[in-house]
Amino acid sequence: MKSLLFKTGSVWMMAVAMITGAVLQPSAYAAPAGMVSTQQLVQESRVDQQRAYVNDFLSRSDVQAQLEARGVDVADAQLRIAGLTGAELATLSSQIDVLPAGEGVLETVLFILVIFMLLDIAGVTDIFPGL
Amino acid sequence: MLRAGSVLQRVLSPELTDHALSFRAWISLVMAFTLAACVSSPQTESLHHAIPAPLSSPVNLSDVAFFPQADYQCGPAALATVLNYSAVAVTPDELVPQVYIPARRGSLQIEMLAATRRYGQIAYVLSGSLSEMLQEVGNGKPVLVMQNLGLSRWPQWHYAVVVGYDLTRSEIRLRSGTIRDYVMPLALFEKTWARADHWAVVALTPGELPVHADEIAYFQRVADFEQSQSGEPAIRSWRAGLQRWPVSRLMSMGLSNQLYAQGNMPEAAQVLQQLLLADAGFASAHNNLAWISLELGDSVAALHHAQRAVELDADDDNFRSTLQAVQSKISSGK
Repeated sequence: MKSLLFKTGSVWMMAVAMITGAVLQPSAYAAPAGMVSTQQLVQESRVDQQRAYVNDFLSRSDVQAQLEARGVDVADAQLRIAGLTGAELATLSSQIDVLPAGEGVLETVLFILVIFMLLDIAGVTDIFPGL
Repeated sequence: MLRAGSVLQRVLSPELTDHALSFRAWISLVMAFTLAACVSSPQTESLHHAIPAPLSSPVNLSDVAFFPQADYQCGPAALATVLNYSAVAVTPDELVPQVYIPARRGSLQIEMLAATRRYGQIAYVLSGSLSEMLQEVGNGKPVLVMQNLGLSRWPQWHYAVVVGYDLTRSEIRLRSGTIRDYVMPLALFEKTWARADHWAVVALTPGELPVHADEIAYFQRVADFEQSQSGEPAIRSWRAGLQRWPVSRLMSMGLSNQLYAQGNMPEAAQVLQQLLLADAGFASAHNNLAWISLELGDSVAALHHAQRAVELDADDDNFRSTLQAVQSKISSGK
């Protein structure tokens, strides 16, 4: 009797496990590669945010003064930001992120920006098609 | 704060220590601190000048549970506080292995967010506006905040939960550390909060939205959420987003993709059709609708939408390959 109970019990447990397994099955349908996925849109929205962030940074008056001191036209720089790839924007905005920690970092960010432009002129990269 | 620090350093620099501090140095030190006090709580100042209507009466969410923290474990305690209020029964002890790092005597923000998702809640990081944060509390949501109780240079990180405020008295009420009702001046809170980058999080039950939700931020948080919590909770979250932003490209695509993943093709198509009525030039929606139409066996619609996507953006490889795939499926089917 005891073993019978045990058996019915385990049958029930297996049935429950199978049913919950079927219900909890995460994605029933895998989307074909040609569909625009939500994660893809997340990446794009992050790049848009970073672009806005870097543009905000460039519109700060202290930054504009520094750029002008280096002979970089602010309007040009803002146009060029539009040409940066996601990875480059991430580099720039992560530098801006740590900016409050030290004033020297402003130099670093501008330095990176100028390096991007120089590499472009040298033909290593093609970030700023206008150059 | 920075100004005060530099004055302090100058005052205590070696050249000056052998002399008694001059009267001028003292005056400038005091002035610097006064100045810092004036400018370092700007949001409290502006709230003080004009209290926004939604914040005019005091709020105290007295039924928010209290879990006094053990040792340095403010992270698990604060997280348990907000989760329990969202009807998730979990104790700080259960959260310790998920969010507490003994060697650092603390919890990482990113792990606090991940643990929130693990318990079926969407971790929404607020904008950093003091007014918006308090309005969440006014709307009945306790807010998990990070504070730096020390100085920027010598930080002492702390997690607490905002459960109330009284702006006429310029006070804020927290569940903090070992104190159930920790009432502190709003200006002081703002300083400690600003030093932690104004980090504030609400745990949203799927279907809920913050009072002041940002479309892109909400989209990203739900997209994070659905990676581990797909199905009905994700669908409910997308629908709530679409209700707030009815012609949102992001919400429509998120909802449609999740419906597709669950095999609900008719509704996945309907969501995109609805969006295209208002926003006919959105190529990605046409592209996805082409695939869904194929699933539904509607090859006419599939071809139409695949062609529209390519017309709108001929440079997109994705859209071109969609059109090719649709064409070859139709020709092989006939």
